Amino acid sequence: MAERFDPWPEGIQPAVPIAGYPNTFSHTPSAPLIRRPATRTERTAPARLSEKLICGDDNLAVVAPGRMAQGQFIHISGRVLDEDGRGIPHAVVELWQANAGGRYRHPIDQRDAPLDPDFIGNGRVLTDAEGRYGFFTIRPGAYPVPVPGAWWRPPHVHFSVLGPATLSRLVTQMYFPGDPLNEVDLILQSVPDAAARDRLVARMVPTLETGLGWLAYRFDIGLRGRAATPELP
Amino acid sequence: MLPASEHTIGPFFPQSFFREGDNDLRRRTPDAAPSRRGETITIHGVVLKAEGVPCVNMVLEAWQADAAGRFNHPEDPEAALADPDFLGWGRAWTDAQGRYSFTTLLPGGYVEGNHHRAPHINFGIMGAGLMRIARTTVFFPGDNAADPVFALVPAQVQSRLVALPDGPGRYRFDVILHGGAETPFFQD
Repeated sequence: MAERFDPWPEGIQPAVPIAGYPNTFSHTPSAPLIRRPATRTERTAPARLSEKLICGDDNLAVVAPGRMAQGQFIHISGRVLDEDGRGIPHAVVELWQANAGGRYRHPIDQRDAPLDPDFIGNGRVLTDAEGRYGFFTIRPGAYPVPVPGAWWRPPHVHFSVLGPATLSRLVTQMYFPGDPLNEVDLILQSVPDAAARDRLVARMVPTLETGLGWLAYRFDIGLRGRAATPELP
Repeated sequence: MLPASEHTIGPFFPQSFFREGDNDLRRRTPDAAPSRRGETITIHGVVLKAEGVPCVNMVLEAWQADAAGRFNHPEDPEAALADPDFLGWGRAWTDAQGRYSFTTLLPGGYVEGNHHRAPHINFGIMGAGLMRIARTTVFFPGDNAADPVFALVPAQVQSRLVALPDGPGRYRFDVILHGGAETPFFQD
């Protein structure tokens, strides 16, 4: 029987450091990572984290009644799944992104690009009993990375997922299908396996429950670990 | 479903995601009174990259057992006895000098199978330039030699995982991501 936490399959984790992305050379640990058993501390995480991290903020596109962000309205939804393909209920899903002009509302982002007064750009929700989540937002713009040999980051959405174990903690990014910048993005292309890269690209889906106002994308998110134990009663 | 690849959290993790008290592991909710079932401690330090340069805007997450060594989680056979007021999780981010701090209760050790885990706190460090979460474990002064995780760390760098007493109820733990006295990190 497989362990609950097998080693990462080959090719999924980014190959680091990344040529052309200088910060990966100064931040990535140089010594080999130490393999350790998954003891109780690694197999657990806070059972009711949503009491600490307040959830329910799922609409980035409409900041207040009548105040709509600039850009293409989109809906991103999917499921958070374990390695057995089972939905993970009550996972905290955090999302943040640039505005339609490719600028973040963050003091560190001082790029000469428009700030949208009606777009803040972050949200946080809890997955339901089947592991589903969803956000209403806008399609983010691309932006350049100011390093020697600068490249443009393709439109992307950041995800942070806090699931049932500290070993299943995930921070990743979602990309849009068919964008030519995906092929030259040093960050996405640092993932060696093509199928693993493809899993970071959302799928366009027919607009159903979200209505005609929103271009709909699906993005399922796999977390490490299998046979997660049931939650506390 | 294969797990999604990790990516960097980048430089723009929203500051509005942080709330007062997020770095206090003793509090279940932002408004809850902190648990007093144990010895309150502060653990603080700096996050440094290559050449000892401080890292600004790094996100740290901490996770630990309660003061009696229990987790409020189904994986713990004694979950029902866990401190109901203690969360055991916190999040902090580094300032312009690379500093962070957590307030918590001194964790208890626990027995699992044939092993005795010494008191410890697991840290996950995220930031621009880190494509994967850097995972390490903070131990406390004392007898850690029998801890099954501590024992896997090369002897000459084990001391880098032990927090330094720094005044009453205070411990210092610096995270050195790259080079010099680099902190040992674990595979996830």
